[in-house]
Amino acid sequence: MKALRTLVLASALVWPATVFAADLQVPKNVVAGQPVTINSAPGGTMYLFGPNVAVKQNVDAGTVEVPGERLQAAGRYTVVIGDSKATFFVTNGKPESIAFLARPSRVPAAAEEAVTGTAFIFDRYDNLVRQPLPVKFELAVAGGAPETRTATSRDGAAWVKMNSGRKEGAAQFVASTGAISTKRVVQHVASDPCSIRMRAARGNNGNIVVETDPIRDCSGNAVPDGTIVTFTSVDRKGRSTIDARIKRGIARAELPASDNATISVAAGVVMGNEIRWGGGR
Amino acid sequence: MSTKAGLIAASLVLAVAALTSSFTVKAADAGPKIAFDAGAATPRQVEEGTVKAVTRDYAAAWKSLGEAVEQNRADLLNANFAGTARERFGALVESQAKNGLRQRYVDRGHKVQVIFYSADGSSMQVRDTAQIEIQLLDGSEVVHSEQATVSYLALLTPAENSWKVRVLESVPEF
Repeated sequence: MKALRTLVLASALVWPATVFAADLQVPKNVVAGQPVTINSAPGGTMYLFGPNVAVKQNVDAGTVEVPGERLQAAGRYTVVIGDSKATFFVTNGKPESIAFLARPSRVPAAAEEAVTGTAFIFDRYDNLVRQPLPVKFELAVAGGAPETRTATSRDGAAWVKMNSGRKEGAAQFVASTGAISTKRVVQHVASDPCSIRMRAARGNNGNIVVETDPIRDCSGNAVPDGTIVTFTSVDRKGRSTIDARIKRGIARAELPASDNATISVAAGVVMGNEIRWGGGR
Repeated sequence: MSTKAGLIAASLVLAVAALTSSFTVKAADAGPKIAFDAGAATPRQVEEGTVKAVTRDYAAAWKSLGEAVEQNRADLLNANFAGTARERFGALVESQAKNGLRQRYVDRGHKVQVIFYSADGSSMQVRDTAQIEIQLLDGSEVVHSEQATVSYLALLTPAENSWKVRVLESVPEF
């Protein structure tokens, strides 16, 4: 109670609010959730209008206290008692929570500035914390080196662009300021194949069986199963193309029999090796 | 200057005006006048179409807020507000209605500056300097009236086919 009285007295010492014909003595700035004492108030009907509250009540002349629960929303408040009026601002309190938006939810590994994080910092009453604060962003896959960046918030918002990690897996993306933090998961998946190596052999039916080595991106992550790999055979009879999906890390297909064919392999924009079938290789 | 040269010059001015990131809208039934400046947006520039959409929707939000606090109808907030802003103004309308109070805004226009537009386009923060006449009413009696220049901080997010105001806080200063 003593602490509350001291707080109220301290608040009352702040310079007065917006000037009206007959001013009420109200502190100019009030921290969200704290009570306000109006000194030397006339008696009568008091009106209080704020961002989320409108109050009408009878008060006695003298000291009038507005409880903190009516002053939780940051913003402009107007109090009217008879002909006396004042306007004051409630401002945010300490940071209590972070609303964190991370994009995208899936990202290729080792991609530059491919992950964006936006953090909005709020106090316990969901008011934006306007004071500049250092916000640390950390993106890490288990077992991989984390990437860390720090940004200073402005009017409650801070943002970063980060490189994705080199390792595939579920990356923890954490935004923190002081003791508060919020976590999101950004799934890292293998990027495009770094190179494709295939070999060919004659099948039991005479067809050409082609099969790749395990296909990995340039960071060594296995390219996901289901990724399309295209095998092409060109001989004097024409061109044969087969799209095969990677299964358990490799792609496999059966091309029509041929005595002299040139076989190539590709996935997306990445070309693999070429085999001259029947030409001695 | 010949007529042709004048027309060309006028066309160029119009073209430049159309391309600029500043935009002003005023429609009697769409809400107050909004002077919208997206030139300082970071980290992403605001596309011309987005400028128009946000300007339109922010004006509509203010119009609906004015109607909601005057008529004490929280449902009028639904189309333009979400999250904290919707909750707060809904609570305001509720407590006004409970106490027989109302507010009337005579909105004289807003100067809006974009200070943040997220890289993925999912949120936009603006500073708004509003010229408003605010009347506080007990029933039909005006208990307070003032012309005010009020600074607002707003956070908007895109919804299905419009932008909604999620945070709208008046602040002492920018």
